[in-house]
Amino acid sequence: MTSTIQTTLFIATIGIVGIFIFMSFFYLIILALDKYLPYQEEKPVEEFIEEISEEEEE
Amino acid sequence: MGLEQLLPAIAGMTWQHLVMMGIGLILIYLAIAKNYEPTLLLPMGFGAILVNIPLSSALTQIDPATGETVEGVLNIFFDAGIATEIFPLLIFIAIGAMIDFAPLFRNPSLLLFGAAAQFGIFITMIFATLLGYDIREAASIGIIGAADGPTSIVVASRFAPNLLGPISVAAYSYMALVPIIQPPVIRLLTSRKERLIRMSSASHNNKKISKKALIAFPIVITVAAGIIAPSSLSLIGFLMFGNLIRECGVLNKLSQSAQNELSSLVTILLGITIASTMTADRFIRTDTLIIIALGLFAFIFDTFGGVIFAKFLNLFRKEGNKINPMIGACGISAFPMSARVIHQMGQKEDPYNYLLMPAISANVGGQIGSVVAGGIILTLVPLLA
Repeated sequence: MTSTIQTTLFIATIGIVGIFIFMSFFYLIILALDKYLPYQEEKPVEEFIEEISEEEEE
Repeated sequence: MGLEQLLPAIAGMTWQHLVMMGIGLILIYLAIAKNYEPTLLLPMGFGAILVNIPLSSALTQIDPATGETVEGVLNIFFDAGIATEIFPLLIFIAIGAMIDFAPLFRNPSLLLFGAAAQFGIFITMIFATLLGYDIREAASIGIIGAADGPTSIVVASRFAPNLLGPISVAAYSYMALVPIIQPPVIRLLTSRKERLIRMSSASHNNKKISKKALIAFPIVITVAAGIIAPSSLSLIGFLMFGNLIRECGVLNKLSQSAQNELSSLVTILLGITIASTMTADRFIRTDTLIIIALGLFAFIFDTFGGVIFAKFLNLFRKEGNKINPMIGACGISAFPMSARVIHQMGQKEDPYNYLLMPAISANVGGQIGSVVAGGIILTLVPLLA
C-alpha cells in the first residue's frame, strides 16, 4: 500500500468521524437552544396593554 | 488572402472544439427541456460554446499583430470570483437566506443523517486515489458527493483548479438527477416492510420554535465551528450569515435580495465563469469521463451511507419508534429535491404515509453536513497530504 493511499484512508477515516462529531455537537446545540430559549406564545396587544395599565394602577 | 486570414476561427477549428460545442448544446438542452438545474447548466452550456470558438475574445489571447496579451473577460471573472472563492461564498449567503432551520429543531436527531450521507465523499476519495489521482485531486473529485455545487467549487478551485470544469458539471448534473439516482439504490437496500414504516416523529411536525433560538442558532454554530475548525469558517460562516439575515426579522428586504437578486446574479456569473475552464484542451480527456463516473459513484454511496445508517439505528430502536430507512437518503444536500423524492417513494408504497416533514429535516441536516464535510476536507488535506 503506497503512502498516498494510506494518507487518503487516514483522511477519510478522520473525515467521516469528524463529520459525526461536528453534527453531534450541532445536535446538542439545538437541544440546548430549544431548552433554554423555548417558544413562548406572544400575548395579544390588548392583553399586553391591560397588563401594563393594571401595573400602573397598582 | 487565404481562409486562415479571412476567417481565422474556422481555420483554427478542430473536432475537439466541435465536441465541446456539442456538450454546450446538450447542457442547454438539459437546462431548458428537462429543467435540470437550469440556473447553472444554461450559463455553463452557453459558456462552453463561447470559449470553444477559436480565438474567442472571452478568453485571454495573444494578439498576433502586436504580440501583446489581451485579457479575456471570463479569465478576469475567474481570477476575481472563483480563484478568490468570492462567487461561491456569495452563493452561500444566498443559500443561508433560503434555509429554514425550524424543521431541524422539530427533529434534531435527523441531523445525524446529514453526516452519514456524506459517506460517498470519502469512499470516492479513496477510490480516486486508487485510480492514481493525488490526494488533492482525489479530495476535489470526492467532494462531488457533497451534492452541493458551491462547496464542490470552493474545494476544487483550491485543490485542483485544472479539474474544476468536469467537477462542476458532474456536481450540478447529478444534483439534478437525484430523482433518477436515488430510488433504485434505496429499493436495492430496503425491503418493502421497511419502506412502509411510518415515522412517529410526525407528532413534532407542528411544534413551534422560538424566534430567539432560530436567531441564536447561526451565531452559536459559527462560533462553535470556528473554535473547532477555523478553516471551515469561510464556508459555514457565510452560510450562517445568510441565515441570520433571514431570521433576524429586521432585514427582510436584504433577506429577499439575498434569496433572489444576489443568488441570480452570482449564479449567472458563476456558471459562465466555470465554463471558461471547459476549453477543448482541458475538457476532452479521459480524466473527464473518469470524474463524471466517480461523481455518480459518490452520489450512490451517499445514498448507501444514509440508508444503512438508518437501518443501523433501527437495530437499537423499539418497534413503533423505528426510522423509515429511506429518510437516511435525504441526508444529502440536494434540497428539497431529495426530500420530495423520498416523500413520493413513501406515498407510492402507502398513500397515507407522510414522510415529507422528517425528510425535510434530514435534508436540511444534509445542507449543513455538506458544508461541514467541505470544511473538514479543506482543513485535513493541507495538513496531512
